[in-house]
Amino acid sequence: MVKKFEITNRIRELRFFAEEMTQQELARRAGVSRQTIIAVEAGKYAPSLEMAFRIADVFGVAITEVFACKVSEIEGKKG
Amino acid sequence: MSYQEKRTIVNILSGVPVLIAYGIYVFIRTRSGSVDPNDLRFWGITMLTFIGIGVASGIILQILFHIGLSISIAIKTGDGKEREVERDIEATIVEDEMDKLIELKSLKLGFSITGTGFVIALIYLAFSGSAAGMLNIMFFSFGIGSISEGFLSLRYYRKGLKNG
Repeated sequence: MVKKFEITNRIRELRFFAEEMTQQELARRAGVSRQTIIAVEAGKYAPSLEMAFRIADVFGVAITEVFACKVSEIEGKKG
Repeated sequence: MSYQEKRTIVNILSGVPVLIAYGIYVFIRTRSGSVDPNDLRFWGITMLTFIGIGVASGIILQILFHIGLSISIAIKTGDGKEREVERDIEATIVEDEMDKLIELKSLKLGFSITGTGFVIALIYLAFSGSAAGMLNIMFFSFGIGSISEGFLSLRYYRKGLKNG
C-alpha cells in the first residue's frame, strides 16, 4: 500500500467570509496571478510553502486554516 | 482566457507562420531550380534571415499585444482612474512560481524535441544524407520544439499542474 497525499484548501470559503473577495483581489494581495489562484482553488496546483503562507496571510489566518492534507492509501509498489 | 494563455498564443502565432513561410519559400526556390540544394551558403543565409524575421515578428507581436492589453484594461477600468489602471495592469502581468514551473516543464519538452531532431539529423548524415538535409532537419526540429513548448504551456494553464 502506498500513501497518497492530496492538498485540499478552503480558499473559496475564506473568500466568501472576506466579503466575497474576488480571485483578482486575492491574487493582487498575495502577489501572484489570478490564473494561479484559480488553479490553487480548484486543486489543480499545489502551491509552494511561501505562496501558501502568503495566501493565508491575506486572510489573516494560520496556514492550516487554509490548506489541509488528505491522506489516502492506494494499492501499488512503494518507491 | 488569462493573460498567460494569451501571451502563449501570441508566441505560437509568431512562430508558426515563420516556419510555414520558410517551408514554402525553400520549396519554391528549390523546385524552380534557381538554387542549388547543395549550396550551403544559400541555406545559411535563408535560415539566418528567417530566424531574424521570427525574432523580430515575435518582439513586434508581443509589443502590440501588451499595448492592446493595456488599452483593454484601461477601457474596462474607466477614464480618470490612472492609479487603478496601473494597478490592474501590474496585477494582470504578474509572473509567479506557477508560470516559472510551467515554463520550465515546457522548455524540457522543447529541448527534448530539439535534441531528438539533432540526433535524427546526425543519423541522416551518417546514412550519407546531404548537409543541406541535415541543416533543414535541425531547423525544423528547433521550430517544432519551440511551437510544442507553447502548446504544452497552454495545456498546463488549462489543465493545471499537479503537485508542482
